[in-house]
Amino acid sequence: MASLKNSWLSRVGIVVLAAVMVEILSIVQYEHVQKALLEETDLRSRVVMNSMAEEIQHTLERTEITMRENLWDIKRSMAHPDSVFGAVVRLIDDDRNLVGGCLAFRPYFYPSKGRLYEPYASLHPDGTIKVEQIAGPDHDYTLNEEYLWVLENRCTSWTDPYKYGPDSLAFTTYLLPIYDNNGQIDAVCGLDMDLSWLGDTLNSRQPYPSSFGLLLTPEGELVAGPSKSRTPEDEVKQVVDLLNGLIPASDLPGVSYSSTRLFKDPYWLVVEVYKTDEVYARVRRQRRQQVLFIILGLAILSFMINRYARNERKLRQASEEKARMGGELAVAHRIQQQMLPKTFPPFVYGSLEPALEVGGDLFDFYTRDGKLFFCIGDVTGKGVPSAMLMSVAHSLFRILSQKIDNPSRILEFMNKELSRGNDSNMFITFFVGCLDLYSGELRFSNAGHDKPFVISSDISLLPSKSNLPLAAFPDTQFEEQTFNVAPGTVLLLYTDGLTEAKNMDRKSFGRPRIQEVLENFRSNQDQSLSNLVSTLSEAAHSFAGEAPQSDDLTMLAIRFDPENNRRDQITLVNKESEVTRLGSFVKDFLAPMDLDKKLASGLRLALEEAVVNVIDYAYPAGEQGEILINADTNGHEVRFTITDSGYPFDPTTVLKPDTTLDAQNRPIGGLGIFLSRKLMDSISYNRIGSKNVLSLTKFIL
Amino acid sequence: MTTTIQETDERIIAVLSGELDTAAAAQTEKDLQPLLNSKGKEIVLDCKDLEYISSSGLRVLLSILKQAQAVGSRVVLKNVNDVIHDVLDISGFISIFDIE
Repeated sequence: MASLKNSWLSRVGIVVLAAVMVEILSIVQYEHVQKALLEETDLRSRVVMNSMAEEIQHTLERTEITMRENLWDIKRSMAHPDSVFGAVVRLIDDDRNLVGGCLAFRPYFYPSKGRLYEPYASLHPDGTIKVEQIAGPDHDYTLNEEYLWVLENRCTSWTDPYKYGPDSLAFTTYLLPIYDNNGQIDAVCGLDMDLSWLGDTLNSRQPYPSSFGLLLTPEGELVAGPSKSRTPEDEVKQVVDLLNGLIPASDLPGVSYSSTRLFKDPYWLVVEVYKTDEVYARVRRQRRQQVLFIILGLAILSFMINRYARNERKLRQASEEKARMGGELAVAHRIQQQMLPKTFPPFVYGSLEPALEVGGDLFDFYTRDGKLFFCIGDVTGKGVPSAMLMSVAHSLFRILSQKIDNPSRILEFMNKELSRGNDSNMFITFFVGCLDLYSGELRFSNAGHDKPFVISSDISLLPSKSNLPLAAFPDTQFEEQTFNVAPGTVLLLYTDGLTEAKNMDRKSFGRPRIQEVLENFRSNQDQSLSNLVSTLSEAAHSFAGEAPQSDDLTMLAIRFDPENNRRDQITLVNKESEVTRLGSFVKDFLAPMDLDKKLASGLRLALEEAVVNVIDYAYPAGEQGEILINADTNGHEVRFTITDSGYPFDPTTVLKPDTTLDAQNRPIGGLGIFLSRKLMDSISYNRIGSKNVLSLTKFIL
Repeated sequence: MTTTIQETDERIIAVLSGELDTAAAAQTEKDLQPLLNSKGKEIVLDCKDLEYISSSGLRVLLSILKQAQAVGSRVVLKNVNDVIHDVLDISGFISIFDIE
């Protein structure tokens, strides 16, 4: 649980860290872009303003040109005071920006007109031009500053913009001295220009929807600005107040402006006002998109981390599972190996090398009643399922061969069991043999397994008929064959893991190569069977080289070696005194074998107890009966066979006495057969015809 | 199979030599009868020359032990060799005899 929580926390941690880093980067970038954008906006508005200023200058210059072009007309009209009106009207007519024009003559220029004479023409809203003489006591232009300035400086001039009241339009007046031939100023011409177009010019090419241009007098008075429809008057007034320092900048957050000066000192001021919101709008939109992308990216990142973590968890689980399976396979392997015979008498040797951890091959052998029961088998496929089926087959072989001497019958019963509920359709090739260790008679039955090699004077294959493999059909009949094994002969049983061991070129090891090894072995008969098996295994492995082992490799070698075979027999009658003869017989039989004293004494005791049992109980009291005792040995095993014609009696079914009782509670009898069973490796009873046949065997190695 | 019996003040000693098999059991049981008159004396079975014993032999020993215990005598097996010891062990007799 803790680790789950930890991994969850670490995942969230990664996402948060990534988010913080991306956000910091984004903010830095944003600030940078904002600054750059503001600088660019400032630059751009200056460019715009300069172009506007140029346009304004240009407009004014046009008026100046109009004036100069009409100068001859004015001078000509000055010949008569009343004709001056016409010239002024023509002037106004020529320049649409002009709303009025006048000539202010020096005092007494026209004696007929008195001291002051100022003919004036003005454009009315209806488009008509009216004329009047406006000088008089109320309007003495000789006191006018501009008039005096022109007289003094003798040059043309534009007046500062002016208004007739707060709500009036703004005007400027172009002043031009008109000289006589002697350079004396006869009159000053003044042309009034309506500056309302300035507002349109200033606001015609605004970069942002709510930016606007302003023109201010040097005194800070608003001359021209945006139309009311473009910008509310209040807003314009606030900006003007700001520019005049009447309100602090903090009162107008988000408003920024650039300004440029126009004309000469004292300068007019052209101001470009814009809102930072709008300037930043694009970058803000970009940033919003960026944030969206970041969120999206983080979502994808967390999804990926989650996926990664999940995959990793799955991987870990899988590897834990694999490790667990590996552990279990190791256990299965151990169990399977433990089921195999581990100690070998000199005349048998076997080995099994599984291709995977557990294999589908099997071999087994044991001796019973002087006979070697052995088997070898191969389940189709390999690995756990094969091994499981093989374990069942192994158990069945062990159980059945304890009771049944006929290999074909053993196979038949095994097949019945294995066929039942075999849904996986696996089958087993199996060979069961029973070799009489004294006579060399081999009885065998082959359920589809490879024919064993017979190594004697030459090398051949055991002439065995192949029956169907086990577990294929429940009613398969298995033929039993016999073969007389000559002394010194070696039988080699194997699975196809040997013949079909593959090398890198997918070529099989094959029988000819096996035969080569066997020839070598045959020419040196002193070699042990374990030597033969390991030599074959090495040959197969070195043939396969780098190629992985393709199948389980199993071999079982058996040598029929009756060199030390000896047998003897004695016939007793059913009297306890006969036991003395029996003792001598056993001692004489065992003497050449030079056995350990305890072992020899144990063998004698086991036989005596079994024989005494027969003497005491086999025949009716008072009736004489014979008891035949056979003793056999092959050097590895001693077998006693007791044959009598008495009552059928199976001593192997006698219950084991309680050997833990104290002396007073201990029954006097019942110990004999128990001792026999304890001292021998196996005791088996057969009722053959009218005879009881009891076999006692003991390994003596 | 021969048995020799020596009696002292404290104990009766039976020296068993040879092979105590089924054939010899009946005679040996007879030969050992004097032990049953132990009258509380300790009974010592000296097995130093005993080479073999069968279950019949064990039965003889058990019979002596039971009767001796009935009269309050102790039975001790002496000089038991490996072969005999093995049989006593397998049969469980090792726990009911005193072995020295």
